[in-house]
Amino acid sequence: MQSKLSDTELIEQTLAGNQAAYADLVKRHQRFVFTLAMRFAKVREDAEEIAQDCFIKAYRSLASFQGQSKFSTWLYSIVYTTAMTFLRKKRVDTNSIDDENTIIQLENRPSAYDVNNAENKSRSFYLNQAIEQLLPDDAVIITMFYKGEQSLEEIAQALGMEANTVKVKLFRARQRLKEKLERNLKQEVKELI
Amino acid sequence: MNSIEEILWNYIDGNCTPEEQGRIKSLIAEDEAYRLKYQELLNLDKEFSAIELDEPSMAFTYNVMETIRKENAMVPLKARINKKIILGIAIFFVITLAAMLVMVFASVNWSAASAPVNLTYNFKMPVIDPGKTKIAVEGFVFFDVILALYLFDGYLRKRTSGRQA
Repeated sequence: MQSKLSDTELIEQTLAGNQAAYADLVKRHQRFVFTLAMRFAKVREDAEEIAQDCFIKAYRSLASFQGQSKFSTWLYSIVYTTAMTFLRKKRVDTNSIDDENTIIQLENRPSAYDVNNAENKSRSFYLNQAIEQLLPDDAVIITMFYKGEQSLEEIAQALGMEANTVKVKLFRARQRLKEKLERNLKQEVKELI
Repeated sequence: MNSIEEILWNYIDGNCTPEEQGRIKSLIAEDEAYRLKYQELLNLDKEFSAIELDEPSMAFTYNVMETIRKENAMVPLKARINKKIILGIAIFFVITLAAMLVMVFASVNWSAASAPVNLTYNFKMPVIDPGKTKIAVEGFVFFDVILALYLFDGYLRKRTSGRQA
């Protein structure tokens, strides 16, 4: 059962030495942090490593959290930098989505789109599949905007960008996601959207 | 110049000024192309909002907290010792030594110093009552041991409560 205390209250308790309060913070944010990590890493094991690393880094730096932004915004900025560092280390190929020859990493995932099985698969499956095929930046912005309860300004803060840049990126990410959905679903997309 | 799509996304996201909102609203009502596009984007927006979050492994929180606990346990002893305790012990020993010195000086026969100078050494060791000294020394040692045990117990309790939390 998750704590009903606010993030700020849990942070105060953690700083006072109550580690159980931090465990509640982890439980509260772990799904979203893990999802963001998945957007970058594409592999569950790597994503889990990134997500764990983020929470440990956040714990170490918790005293420096000023509370000027939401804890989630601050945490997502850690996710972004940690994931970027991880990708640099791993030298993950992040080719442009426009490159038709791009090989998308879909390890630990169902195999790529199969037209024959299209009818049997849920809408969320195709959507998640399309998101996985996006560039990490695009996938992260879409996820943060729709699932992270973050405004454009907060996303910009977390990613270290200008709000206008994020706005343009969000627009392009939506277009690419739509294209991916259309390409994956072909005829089915008309019924889907 | 913004495309229809860009204008409509701004409208859906609520990033327009009230004037722009009014203008786009009337465009949607009057222009078929705008209306169809708006409907399409609205459906997409609804679809994107239904993105599912991934679930980490069951042991995720445990693993994070375990790593934090291990890190805390690995903090060097020097960094964990409370400086106030060290200071307290130091003050106690200084007071103890001072008290012992006072006691020793108090028991010295200072009258020998005022005697006429006599080059022949007639130095007398201070007379200390062996019974009293023994009791005093044992008392100090006993107090030392009790204090040390008390401080050590306090330190262990603090450490245990930190781990349980």
